[in-house]
Amino acid sequence: MNERGQYKNRIELLQGTLDMLILQTLQWGPQHGYGIVQALRLRSGDVLQVETGSLYPALHRLERQSWVQSEWKQSESKQKARYYRITAKGKKQLASDLGRWERIVEAIGSVVYVKPEESES
Amino acid sequence: MKWFPSFGFQRRKRELQEEIDAHLQMAIADRVARGETAETARQEAAREFGNIPLVQDVTRDMWGQAWLEQLGRDVRYALRQLRKSPGFSITATAMLAVAICANSTVFSWIDGTMLRPIPGARDTGDLVSLQRGEWNFSPTPPFSYLDYRDLREQNHTFAGILAYHHDWITLTGGAQPERAYISNVSANYFDVLGIKPVLGRFFLPEEESRPVPNVVLSYSLWKTRYAEDPAIVGKSIEIARHPVTVIGVAPEGVVGAMPGIREDLWVTLDPLGTDVWRMTHRSGGAVWLNVIGRLRPGVSRGQAAQDLDTVMHNIVAAFPDDHLGDNRITLDPMWRSPFGANGYMAATLPILLAFAAVVLLLTCANVATLTLVRFVSRRRELAIRQSLGANRIQLVRQMVLEGVVLSIVAGAVALVLTSWTSKTFAWFFPANSNPLILNGSMDHKVVIGIAVSSLLVGMLCGALPAWRSSHAPAVEVLKAESASISGGSRNRKLLSGLVVAQIALSLPLLLCSGLFLRTLRNLAGANPGFEQDHILTATVGLNIAGYSHNEEQVIRHKILDRVSALPGVKVASLTDWIPMALSHKGEDAYPEGYVPHPHESLKVAHAEVSPRYFESLHIPVLEGREFTPDDDEKAPRVLIVDQTAARRYWPGQDPLGKELRVWGRLFTVVGVVRNSTHTFVNESPEPMVYMSFFQAGYETMVQVETEGNPVDLAPAVQNAIHEIDTRLPVFDVRSMRESTQMASSFAVIQSTLAGMFALIGLVLAITGIYGVVAYRTQLRTHEIGIRMALGASRVDVLRLVLLQGFWLTGIGLALGLVFALGLTRIIVRLLYGIGANDPVTVVSVVMLLGAMSLLACYLPAHRAMRRNPVTAIREL
Repeated sequence: MNERGQYKNRIELLQGTLDMLILQTLQWGPQHGYGIVQALRLRSGDVLQVETGSLYPALHRLERQSWVQSEWKQSESKQKARYYRITAKGKKQLASDLGRWERIVEAIGSVVYVKPEESES
Repeated sequence: MKWFPSFGFQRRKRELQEEIDAHLQMAIADRVARGETAETARQEAAREFGNIPLVQDVTRDMWGQAWLEQLGRDVRYALRQLRKSPGFSITATAMLAVAICANSTVFSWIDGTMLRPIPGARDTGDLVSLQRGEWNFSPTPPFSYLDYRDLREQNHTFAGILAYHHDWITLTGGAQPERAYISNVSANYFDVLGIKPVLGRFFLPEEESRPVPNVVLSYSLWKTRYAEDPAIVGKSIEIARHPVTVIGVAPEGVVGAMPGIREDLWVTLDPLGTDVWRMTHRSGGAVWLNVIGRLRPGVSRGQAAQDLDTVMHNIVAAFPDDHLGDNRITLDPMWRSPFGANGYMAATLPILLAFAAVVLLLTCANVATLTLVRFVSRRRELAIRQSLGANRIQLVRQMVLEGVVLSIVAGAVALVLTSWTSKTFAWFFPANSNPLILNGSMDHKVVIGIAVSSLLVGMLCGALPAWRSSHAPAVEVLKAESASISGGSRNRKLLSGLVVAQIALSLPLLLCSGLFLRTLRNLAGANPGFEQDHILTATVGLNIAGYSHNEEQVIRHKILDRVSALPGVKVASLTDWIPMALSHKGEDAYPEGYVPHPHESLKVAHAEVSPRYFESLHIPVLEGREFTPDDDEKAPRVLIVDQTAARRYWPGQDPLGKELRVWGRLFTVVGVVRNSTHTFVNESPEPMVYMSFFQAGYETMVQVETEGNPVDLAPAVQNAIHEIDTRLPVFDVRSMRESTQMASSFAVIQSTLAGMFALIGLVLAITGIYGVVAYRTQLRTHEIGIRMALGASRVDVLRLVLLQGFWLTGIGLALGLVFALGLTRIIVRLLYGIGANDPVTVVSVVMLLGAMSLLACYLPAHRAMRRNPVTAIREL
C-alpha cells in the first residue's frame, strides 16, 4: 500500500467529522488553512492533529460544494494567505452535521454505558 | 507536449502552490516566535506538513479535472509506446482502417440510398409507398386517379397521400430537343413531401385535375437550362412543343418521390386537357399512378393498411368490373419501396454490410493477437510498473488506450478513404435509359458510424489482451522470466482462441464470395432466350415530341424503311420495350369467358413489337405466325403469347385462335413464341403477351440486327432517323449487350464486394495463424534445441510445430463451416444456378483455407527444423 493510499483512507475515515470540524471552526470567522489546523489543535487540547494531506483536499471539496468561499487576504503578520469563509449553505450543512453527530454520540453512549445489572450475567 | 488547453487548471495549480507556501511560512514564523532557530523551524514545519507533491496531487483530485490531466498523460504514454514499435502500429492501423472503411463504405451507400429515399423531403420515416395486388419486385403503377382520390379522401390514418406518374419528355424550343424526366403529380405532392419552393409557388388544389399548363422546375434544370434566371416565374417555356408557364422552382437537391430516380420537372395530372379519359376511368390505361402516403403521427403501418383495405374494399364493391384480380393493399416504408431503386438496394446492401461487419470482427481478432503478443513481450515492464505501485486498473487503462489511439487514427484514415469510396457506387451501374442518381453519401451519420465503430474496435482490440496481460502476477513474471513460455497458459489459450476465430470468420466470407462469383458466372453464361450480340437499339422520342398520332405512324414507317435499307443492317424492327433493362410493363389479361376468382391476379407482362422482331432476336415462333405489316390499326387486334402464357390460359389446348381481353378489348392469339428472359435471368417465369406495334405501340425504339459490331452502326442509324426530321430526338443508342448488363449489375456489386471482403479475410486469417505459430515456435526455440540434442529428428520437430497449426486450423474450419452454412441461408435468394450449400464450392473453399493455413504453419516449422540445436539451446 503506498503513501497516497494511506491519505485517501484517512480522508474517508474522517470525512464526515473533518468537514464538520472545519465548518465549525469557520463559524468563528474566516480562517486560512494553517489557522484551522492551529485552532483545532488548541481547542481539542492537542488531541486532534489534522493532517495537511486531509485538510487541503477537504477545503477544496467544501469549496466545490459551495459550503465555503475563499479569498486571498493579508494576515495580521502581513502574510498573504487564502482565507476560507463559511457560506449560508455551509451553515445549513453544519447544522445537519451537528445534529447527526449528536444522535450518533447519544446512540453510541446508550450502547456503551448500559448498566451492568440489567444484563443477565 | 501540451494536449489539453486548461488555463483555469494551471492557475489553480499555481494558487495551490501559493497556499501551501503561505501555510509553511506561517508555521515557520510561529516556530521562530517560540524561539526555534530559523533552520530547525523550516525543517520541522516541512516535516509536519508532510509530502507536498502528494498533498497537491490529492487536493487536485478534488477539482474533478484530474482525469483530464491523467488522460493526457496516458495518451502521451500510449503514443510513446506505439512509436517504439512502428511496425506493429502501422500494420494494425492499416488493417483497422481498411476494415472500418469496408463498413463505412457500404454504410454510406445505404445512407445515400435507403436512408435518404426522397432527398429534401421532411421525415421520410413517416412516408409509405402503396401497392395494390400481389407484392411485386418491379411493379407497374398500381392506381387510377379516381381510386387514388377515393383513398385520399376516405382514409382516417394518413396526414396526406400524393400520387405521381414518372415519364420522360422533350424540352423543345431550343436548337435541339433535350430529354427531361417529368412527373405528373397530384396538387398536394410537395405538401405531403414537406417541400417549400425556392421561387414562386407549387400547385393549388383546384389545379389538380383541370387543364392548367403550369410547370415546376427542378433546381438543377433551372440552373443549367435557364441560367438561374431569377425572373423565371411567370415565363413560358416549351415542353414537347406546347407552351407551359413556369410557376415555381423546387429547392436544390429535390429530385422527386421515386427513390434513386431523378425528375427534372413537375406538371399536374392533366396539364393540357388531353388525358380526360385517363382521369375519368378506373381500369386499363387509367391505372397509371404511383402513390405515397404520409402516416398520421402515432399510426402504425399495419393500422394504415387495414384502413386503406377497408376503403379499397368499398371501391371494389362499387366498381367490380374495373377491379378484377387482387386488390389488397400493402404498404412499404420508403427504404424498401418497390417503386424506384430501393427494392433492389434493400435486397443487396444490408447483406454486404453484414459481410463487412464480419471483416471488422476478423480484423479485431487479428489486431488483438498482435496486441497480446506485444503485451506478453512487455510483461517485464508491466510487472515492474505493477510492483512500483501502479494498480491494475491504471495499467489496463493505459493498454486499452493504446488500442483506442490506434483505432482513432485508423478511423481518421477510414474517414478520408470513405469520402472517396462512397462515391464509387455509381460505377456499378452501366449506361441505361433510367435517370439513376444512385450513389453513396458522406454525411454525419457515416461520420458517427465511423467514430462509434473505431472506438468499439479500439476497446475490443485493446481491452481483451490488456485484461489478460494485467492478470499475470508480477512476482512470478519477474522471478521466472525465462521459464514462462509464451506468457503462461492463459495467454496461450487466448492466442489460440483468436486464431481459431479468424479462421472461423474468414470461411463464411470465402464461401459466400465463392457462391456469388459462381452466380455471376452462371448469369453471364445463362441463355436469356434471345440474341444479345449484333443488336443495336435506339429510342426515338416520338410520342413526347408533340406529333399528332397520324404523323407518328407515318414517321415510324419511314424510320423502319430507312434503317432497313442501311448497309450492314440485317433486320430492323420496332418495339417499345427492351428486355433485361429493368423496365417492366404489366397488365391484367383475361381469356374470353373466364371468370376470375376474387383476388385472383391475372397479370401478364406485355410488349408491343413490330414485324421481324422475333426474327432479329432469334426467338423462335413455335406455332402460328409472327406479326405482319398488315396487323395495323385497321386490322383485327392480334397478339402473340409465350409458352408460359399459353400454359396458364389454355393448358393442354391449342392457343391459336383463342381470345384474350386486355384493357377491356379482345385480342386474338395468332402465334406462340418460346419463353425468354424479361427482367432478370433468375426471375420466376411470368406470362408474356406481345401485341402488334402498329396497333398498340406507345414508345418507339428501333431494334437493329447488324452484321458486324452493332456500335459501329450507331451514327448511321441516328443519321437515318434525323434525315426524316432533324428535330426528332434520338436517345439511348447502345448495343443490347450493354443494355442487358443492367440486369446483372447487382450480382456484380455482390460478387465484387464479397470477393474483396473474402480476400481481406483470407489474408488476415493466414497472417494471423502464421504470426502465432511463428511466435510460439520462436519462444520454444530453446526447448526444440534440447529435444534435438536428445535425439529428436528434424521430422519430429516439423511434426511438433505443424501439429499445433493443424489443430488450430481444424477447429477453426469446423466452427467456420457451421457458421458459414448458417450464413449462406440469407443469401439463397441472391444466388442463381447454384445451391447455398453447393458441395463443390464448400469443399474447394475449405481446401483452399486449410491448405493456405497449413502452408503458413509450415514456414516457421521449416525454420525451426533447420536450426542448429547448439545455438538453439543457448538462445533464451
